[in-house]
Formats: sequence, C-alpha cells, structure tokens
Amino acid sequence: MVSKKLTVRNPQGFHMRPAMNFANAMGKYSCEVFIKSNGAETNGKSIMNLIAAGIKCGTDIEIVCSGEQEKEALDEAVSMVESGFGE
Amino acid sequence: MLKGIGVSGGYGMGHAVVVKRADLSYVKKEECHPDTEHRRFSEALECFYNRNTELAKSVKDTLGEKESEIITGHVMIMKDPYMLSEINKKIDEGKCAEEALEEVCDSFIDMLSSANDEFTVQRAVDVRDIKTEILSLLTGAEQVDVSNLKEGTVLVAHELTPSMTAGIDRKKVVGIITELGSGTSHAAILARAMEIPAVLGAPDATKEIKSDDIVVADGNSGDVIINPDADKKELYTRKKIEYIERRKALLRFKGMPTRTKDGIKADLFCNIGTADDAETVAKYDGEGIGLFRTEFLFMDRSGVPDENEQFEAYKKVLLVMKEKPVIIRTLDIGGDKDIPYLGLTKEENPFLGFRAVRYCLKHTEIFKTQLKALVRASGYGKLSIMIPLVTGVEELREVRKMVEDIMRELEKQSVPYDKDLKVGVMIETPSAAIIADILAGEADFFSIGTNDLTGYTLAVDRGNANVAYLYSVFAPSVLRTIKNIISEAKRAGIPVGMCGEAAADPMLIPLLISFGLDEFSVSASSVLSTRREISRWDKARADEIANRIMELKTERDVVEALGKIVNDTV
Repeated sequence: MVSKKLTVRNPQGFHMRPAMNFANAMGKYSCEVFIKSNGAETNGKSIMNLIAAGIKCGTDIEIVCSGEQEKEALDEAVSMVESGFGE
Repeated sequence: MLKGIGVSGGYGMGHAVVVKRADLSYVKKEECHPDTEHRRFSEALECFYNRNTELAKSVKDTLGEKESEIITGHVMIMKDPYMLSEINKKIDEGKCAEEALEEVCDSFIDMLSSANDEFTVQRAVDVRDIKTEILSLLTGAEQVDVSNLKEGTVLVAHELTPSMTAGIDRKKVVGIITELGSGTSHAAILARAMEIPAVLGAPDATKEIKSDDIVVADGNSGDVIINPDADKKELYTRKKIEYIERRKALLRFKGMPTRTKDGIKADLFCNIGTADDAETVAKYDGEGIGLFRTEFLFMDRSGVPDENEQFEAYKKVLLVMKEKPVIIRTLDIGGDKDIPYLGLTKEENPFLGFRAVRYCLKHTEIFKTQLKALVRASGYGKLSIMIPLVTGVEELREVRKMVEDIMRELEKQSVPYDKDLKVGVMIETPSAAIIADILAGEADFFSIGTNDLTGYTLAVDRGNANVAYLYSVFAPSVLRTIKNIISEAKRAGIPVGMCGEAAADPMLIPLLISFGLDEFSVSASSVLSTRREISRWDKARADEIANRIMELKTERDVVEALGKIVNDTV
C-alpha cells in the first residue's frame, strides 16, 4: 500500500469533469484507489462517489493505492490533483 | 388559470399535448438468469449511450457547447465504472436488470441529494433522469416521442428530462408547461437556448389540462391560460407578435457601437459574478466588464483561495476579454454576504458594520493576497481595481499605497504587470457621494453602485416589506446624488460609470445621458436593450428632460413624468 497527502487546489474541486478524468485514469489500474477526506473514504474509481464526497478546493486529502501497479497509480493520481486536473 | 414559473420568455399558444407519466413498473422476478439480465442491461445501456451521444452532437451544433454538456454529463455518469460494477454485481446475485439499476441509482440519489451544495444536489436530479430513461428502455414503456408532434403544439408534462427537452422539434412545439422544475433546471436552460416559451413548476398541469385544449404558456409571467376566450386569444396573439417584433428589433443592435442619437459614444459593459461568465459577456456583445464581483472565489469552500488560484481566475477573465477593459472589485463581504471561515461575527447592523474595504484593511494578509493576484494579472489585459464601500479618501490612499508597494515588490522580482493599472472607487455610500469632489481628485475612476447607494441614501432596507416602497432610484435625493457624483467626476476629468441595475433602466437612461455618464454596466442579457435605449436620445433632448425632471419634488412625480416621456418618445 502506498499513499500521499495533499491539498486540492483547482477552483472547482472534484466537479463533474475532474471526477470523470480522475476516475477514468484510475480505472486503468487494477489496484484499489481510495481518497480519504474529512474523515471519509471514497472510491477513487467512481465518478459519482467522488462527486458525492463533495471534495472542494482547499480540502486536505490522502490518496491511497493498494495492489498491482500501486506506485504508478499513485503517481498519476497525485500529478492529476496537483495539476488541477488540467483545468 | 394555473401559475408556474416563467423560465423562458415569450408567449406560446396552441393545442395541448399532455404527456402521461410513463408506467415504469415491472415485476420483480424471483428467479432471474444473470446471463439474460446482463444482456438486457447492456443492450439498454448501449441504446442509452447511442441515443444521448447523438443527441449531444445535435444539441452542440444547434444550441451550443454548454447546453450539450448537460447531455454528455448523463453519458459520463452512466459510464461510471463503479456504478456499473455495482449494478452488475446485483444482477449476478440474481436480481433482474430493472431492480439492480433502480437500487443502485436510488442509493446514489440519496447520497447526492443529502449534500449541502447546489451542484451536487443537481447531480441527484441527473441520476433520477437517467434511471427513468433506462428503466423505460428496459420495460419497453411507451417512449414519449416529442420529436413527432403536430405544428403548434404546447407540450404539457409532469417533468421533462434534458434528453426529452433537447429532442423537441422547435418548428412544431410553441410552448412548454411542466409540473416540476424551476429556472435553474436543465429543461429551463435548454428551453431558453431553444427559444421556446416555457412555464415550469405549474402544479397539476397534467390534470387540469387535457390534450387538445387550447393553452397559453406565458413564459414571462408564468401564467398558464386554459381554453382562453376570444378576447384573451386576441390579447395573447397580439402580445406574441409584439414580443417577436421587439426581439427582432433588438437583434439589430448586435455588433453596433453604443452611442446616442447624435453620436456621443458610451461604453456598455457587463456585471459578472464568476470567471466563466466572461464568455457570456462576449456572446451578448458586452464591450467590457464594469463589475467583476470576486466574492464567488471565496464562497463554498473551507479556506481563503491562495494568490495563484486568484491570479488564474483574474487572468482567465482578462484573456477571454482580450484587451477590453475589466473592472474587478475587491472582496465585498459582510452585510448580507457571509463567508463562514472568515469568522465574521453577527452584528446588530451589518450594513453599517464590518464589511467590504473595512474588513480588508483590517485583514491585510487576505487583502494583500488579493491585490497581489490582481496586480500580477494586470499584465494580461486591461485591468482596473475597484474598491467597494469607500466613505473617505483615507481608504483609497491606503489601498493605493498597498498596490504601489506590491508593484515595487514585483518590479524587484521582474514579474510583469501593468504600470498603468487604475485604482477606482465604487461610489455607494452617501459619504462618498457628498465628498465626490475630494475623491475625484485622487481616484482614477468612479463607478456608481446604485443598489446600495439608493438604500443608504434613503435609509431603506428593501428586503423589509414595510419600508420597501421608499426604495427608488427615482427619489429626488438619489437623482441629485447621482448627478453630483457624475459632475464631480467630469470636473476632475476622470471616467464615471454605473454598475447597479439602474444603469439598464429605460427611464433613467435619458437622465444619465444628460448628466454625462461615460459607462453603463448591466447584466449580459440587458446589453442590447440598453444599447437601444441609449440610441433613442440625443444630448439636447436628454438635457431638456433632465432639466424638467430635476425640478420635480417627489418620487411619484418623477416616475409619472419620466414614464410618460419615455413611452411617448418613439
């Protein structure tokens, strides 16, 4: 299991498009991807779960990947969040 | 008569076609064969994807990108790998496709609708729409075919999903009436884009209206008239013709310069609330931005946005506006606008309290961050900074000093910025209005904020029903105040604009022309009508009107006289 803590920086947080881009990117990996925020754990491969989690700009999150290719998955996840999902 | 919410302007009169709610009931089979159910589900899904992808394409071509995203959003949601795997899991457990879909969708609907922000709650509506659409595909429930209606149809339904709305043939459907929905519904957005008059949220519409009734949907007032008599029919026919004529006449002003009848040029800008709105401004032909409220950047979040985030938002607006002027107002919170994490305490008199520039000058760390983001963004276009709620020249001096310090700092770091960056004052307090001459000596420009200026001048809270009748920009005291502000700006040789709702008021416009207002900042949808109103008057006539009006002693006399003049002038 690997994980990293960071802060969501894009103005919209996990809105529709960021959530979709993120879930689709994570869907390529077979490992599990979770986002911990505000004491809750969210399935990082689900667009709707990400939206429902209401992760806004300024929220501190921890991305947790566990399973095959966990390192690659975490690297991509972190760079997506840090780049503000290319918005 | 029924009463709903007018969400898309115009008058639609025609034969009602009442769309019955589809019967989506199904029998929960005890023993389902997972293979069969998987196949049924994936066929329905395939059909859903194809239909909506196609629809999104045609909506994008006919209506626009933003409208088509409503439909593509549905496709995205239904491609959610987690959601699909949950449904498939339930089918594996022996549930039929309908039940599996319904259970998973319902759990998402519950989760989303309990959120406390509008965006997330809207997604619950999306999931419900999707569920309905796929259930009808699975059950073979009669699909309402809205694409194949007779000419002159008024569509009456319990609720319209976005895909149904987008599938409406604009040549055939002249009006829309639904029981559910409001101005922010997807159906409302689409109806407006399609320019079909629509009344949503009209209770019992599908019960009160029978198919083939003659109905009128008044998309302006929200009235629904069932089987109107001859007089009413004539009235609405006339209203409809006038409405269409007015719209056509208005479109002639698109792309035209803004100037008075005798050729005096005025700037016609827009008020916006988010960086995305800048695109709407371009679409509606605004010539710049006269008021960009920055509060939105600070709302719906848990902490202050950092300098870079603000910088990106301001830069985005400047880039969209391409060298056209953009006036950005610094943080205007307090009063009725609370932001929880800023820790504002509850006050006895919030409108006379700790707000806007007063707050910013006390919390310099927050204010400096915003000013720095603004100064940095100034390198990307024509930016001006506007300070809200100024009451004395000290506030302007203090802000200007902060801006100059930031400029020096950036200079040292060789960060580019606009050396010609203007700092102006929003004139919205009686104090600022009275010392307009003093402020004009040091400010780079004025912008009159009529909403607060009217409230403060008349000492009226227009949200208080007992005194709201006193609130009027046409009160002689307010008119004199506006006139004074404009003439002091002229005397000092600085530009003066107006960014309240009043700037688009056809009755106020001749007075503003006479006083010499340089810039009118209005909502994007009022750009063309304001341009038309400005073109109606020449300076001499406007002066004549102003001279007469400024002698009147009561608000009532002013409104009566102006109303008559404006209506009688062709």
